[in-house]
This record gives sequence, structure tokens and C-alpha cells, in this order.
Amino acid sequence: MTLIQLENVTKVFTSRKGDVEAVRGFSLSIRKGEVVTLVGASGCGKTTVLNMVAGFIAPTSGKVLLEGEPVSRIEPRCGMIFQSYALFPWLTVRENVEFGPKVNGISRKIRKDLARNYIEMVGLTEFADSYPGELSGGMRQRVALCRALANKPDILLCDEPFAALDAMTRQVMQQELLNIVSRSEQTIFFITHSIDEALILSDRVVVMSARPGQVKAVYDIDLSRPRKIDVQLTDEYLKIKRKIWDMVEEEVKASMNM
Amino acid sequence: MEETELTFWRASVYGSLGLICFLGLWEISIRLHLIDPFFLPPPSQIITRAIQMTTGPDAVLLSDIRISASRVLTGFFLSVLVGVPFGLVMGVSPVVRATLNPIISIIRPLPALSWIPLSMLWLGIDEQQKYAIVFMGCFASILVYTTDATMRVDPVLRRAARNLGASNFQVLRYVILPGALPDLLSGLKVVLAIAWTCVISAEMVGANSGLGFRIWTAKEWSDTGQVLVGMISISVTVLILDIAFRGLERLLLPWQRKVPGS
Repeated sequence: MTLIQLENVTKVFTSRKGDVEAVRGFSLSIRKGEVVTLVGASGCGKTTVLNMVAGFIAPTSGKVLLEGEPVSRIEPRCGMIFQSYALFPWLTVRENVEFGPKVNGISRKIRKDLARNYIEMVGLTEFADSYPGELSGGMRQRVALCRALANKPDILLCDEPFAALDAMTRQVMQQELLNIVSRSEQTIFFITHSIDEALILSDRVVVMSARPGQVKAVYDIDLSRPRKIDVQLTDEYLKIKRKIWDMVEEEVKASMNM
Repeated sequence: MEETELTFWRASVYGSLGLICFLGLWEISIRLHLIDPFFLPPPSQIITRAIQMTTGPDAVLLSDIRISASRVLTGFFLSVLVGVPFGLVMGVSPVVRATLNPIISIIRPLPALSWIPLSMLWLGIDEQQKYAIVFMGCFASILVYTTDATMRVDPVLRRAARNLGASNFQVLRYVILPGALPDLLSGLKVVLAIAWTCVISAEMVGANSGLGFRIWTAKEWSDTGQVLVGMISISVTVLILDIAFRGLERLLLPWQRKVPGS
């Protein structure tokens, strides 16, 4: 079943310096339970695509459909994870996770249980009453993940969520996300500029061209699930990585005018 | 040698030493007849005068402090009550901001003192007139501080809240208000000091009680001791209110207390 459908989407940003076409004729559909990753050079319009799915910005032309209905406002069914975590610094870990259920009128008791379960799932129980400012980057992003999941989104939108983390923490977080996928069949639309990250997480990898962003190529990733990080050492993995790398390299060079 | 931050106790010791030297020099220069005590009474005489004013038959000091402080706080709270909501709305709505900005730009530069003639004409020299002076002196500043604090709230937090399903009102209540609170409180601390200036000035011009009135009448009787007791009382009261305000900040911003390095 198709959950998200982007049909020939174009986005032009207007500014005093003139118009910038960020995304051009972008089409993609995401099925329920699928993990799709968008890779591309920085500035290619990846985030713009994600922001249109979330309803933060509207496309200049084309359609963004969620379960067949156009996305016309900021859409709580599309839970977002930001690169900058975007946790509320004045709320504790528990209160941050409870925020979505709270504003949606879920009773105190139910949202307490919800928060406790998710916080336990990511191993932060002893930090439930800490403030985000007291946590490390990896821990903050785990809280952000909990906060998004506690709202039971139809799709999880991830805007380079692990880009600010060190390599070790990043791997741990990727494994964490893989565990969640295998447990709950959560639909995920993930943005990254790391091909490894894309390959480990996804069912499909979409390579985006340099600006204006278009779909350059789509690869089905048939690596078996549940996946572990050590899948990176298999021949199958390296073969597909080589293919995607060649494709991305072209676009990175194009975007740098090389 | 590297300069390091002093511990609280060491800093207090140095601070006390500085104060004692200052008061000692002051006292000695009068005892040595370098300064005429009529123009500047020595600390010992000020202390005696302060004791007379708190315990003697004409013990007015404490009630003056109480009266001035209640004028300051009442006027201040009134302007917070009006200024903060308006400032929040101005912070989130460019339309309201553009509409009200010219009016505020005209009112804001006016010193509170310039409102004294009109306010006396309208309200006499009653308590209401004192509140009005404080209000006019504080309101526009509170509005500007609140607007600025609101606009400094990270837009990604507003976006995150909307993404989690918060309505516009919920964003205002649960994100913008708490997000603006730290900057708002430091702004209000500055405004509270402005409120004192307003009340003391208003009391000097037209009142029959309060610290400003007491200082002004003492000058008429050439009672420099009383002038200085009044001045020091202002200092001490403002200091105490400042400490109370800091306590309030710690209470309202528990998350800032725990963040290392802030």
C-alpha cells in the first residue's frame, strides 16, 4: 500500500537575489513499512523534499500525497527527527517524550506509560528526569527518536539525524533504528549523505542529482533483515556500494563544477 | 600567573575588606576635619540617625520603605500584566508588530519623569498616580524585552511542536512562553530597577510618604544624615529585591540551573 506519493514535485524558492529551483520534477512513492533513503550531495534539495512531505513548505507545482490526500498543513502523521535534535530544553526527557501525546489530548496515565516504554526501549530510564542540556548528543537524538515514536507517526522523517554524532555513536544509533524497524515495521523516509548509512538502513536507496534535485537512480537493497552493522563486510554490500558511489560521485562533482 | 575565579568565601572576604576600608576612610576624613560633617556626615552619625528613624518617636523609615516598595511592585506588576501578553503577541505576529511599533517607538524614549505633570493633573498625588508613573516608565520596555525574547526562540522548536500536533495556542503556551522566559526574566530585572527610579522621582515631586519624599524633605531641613539614610535604604531594598528575583529565576528555570557552564 502506498503511503507517501510525490508526483512531479517542483520547488522554487523566491528571494531578492532571484529564484532558486531547489527540486525539479521529483517523483517517488513510499510503501507502508518501507525504509527509503535519499542520498545526495549537500545542497541538492534533499531537505526540501522532506520538508514538503512534513508540510513545513508547500511545493511550487506537483503533488505531495499522504494516503492519497494532499498534504496541506504541518502533518503530525509525519513525525520528524531533526539533525539539531530540536528537543525542548526546558522539559525533562520524560516530558519531551510526552509532548506529542499531551498536545493531542491523550490522558496523563496512558502517556506516562507510553513515555516509560519508549525511554526504556532506548535505555535512558535513569535519565528520564534529566534535561536535554545534561545529555550527550547521542542520548539527545535517542530522546528525539522516542518523542517522534511516542506520537505513533505513520511515517518517520529523518533529516540527517546522525550527522552531528561521532562515528561510534552513529553506528550505535543506526543499530538502534534497525532494531526499531525490525520490531515495529515503522515506515521511514531517511535523508543522509552517507552511502553506508543508506545501505545499512534501507529497502530502497534513491540517489538525487545535483541542484535542481531530481531522482537520478533508485536501487533496491536486498540485503537480508534483520541486519547487523557487520553486513558492511559482505561482497554483496560492497558491490552495490560501488555502484551507488560511482553515481553519487558524478553528482558531487557536478555540484562542485568540477 | 593565570587568573582564576575566586571562591564565594574568598570573594566575600575581599569584598568586606574593601567596604571596611571605604567606610574607615570616610569616617577618618571627617574626624580629621578634612570634610565638614554638615555636607557629609560620617558613617557613625548615619547609623545613629538610622536607629533614631527606626526606633524613635518619629520612626518612619520602615513604613517609608514599605510604602515605596509596594508602589514599585504594584506598578511593576501592572506593567508586566499588560506588557508581557502584548509582547508575546507582537513577537509571534509580524502584523501586530508592524502596527504597534510606531506607537511604542514614540512612547518608549519618554523618561518617566516627563509623565509627572500630566499624571498629577489627572490623578493628583494619590497612590494611583505613583502606579501610573511606574507603569509609563516600565510598560514600553517590558513590551520590547518580551517581543525580543519571543523572537529569539529557536524556530526549529516551533516547527517541532507543530510537527507533533500542537495548535497555535499550544505552541505559544508550551514552546514560546517557556522558550522566551530566560531572556524575559533578565529583561524584567532591568525594568525593576527602572521602576525604582520612577517611584523615587515621583515621590520627590509630589507625595507625603515614601523614601523619595523623606529624602527630599530632609534636604529642606538640611538633615544630611536623613538624606543618606534614605539613599542607603534604597540601595539595600533594591539589593534585597534583586536577590529575591534571582531566587524566582532559579525556581522558574530549573533546566538552566543544571546545564553546566551557564
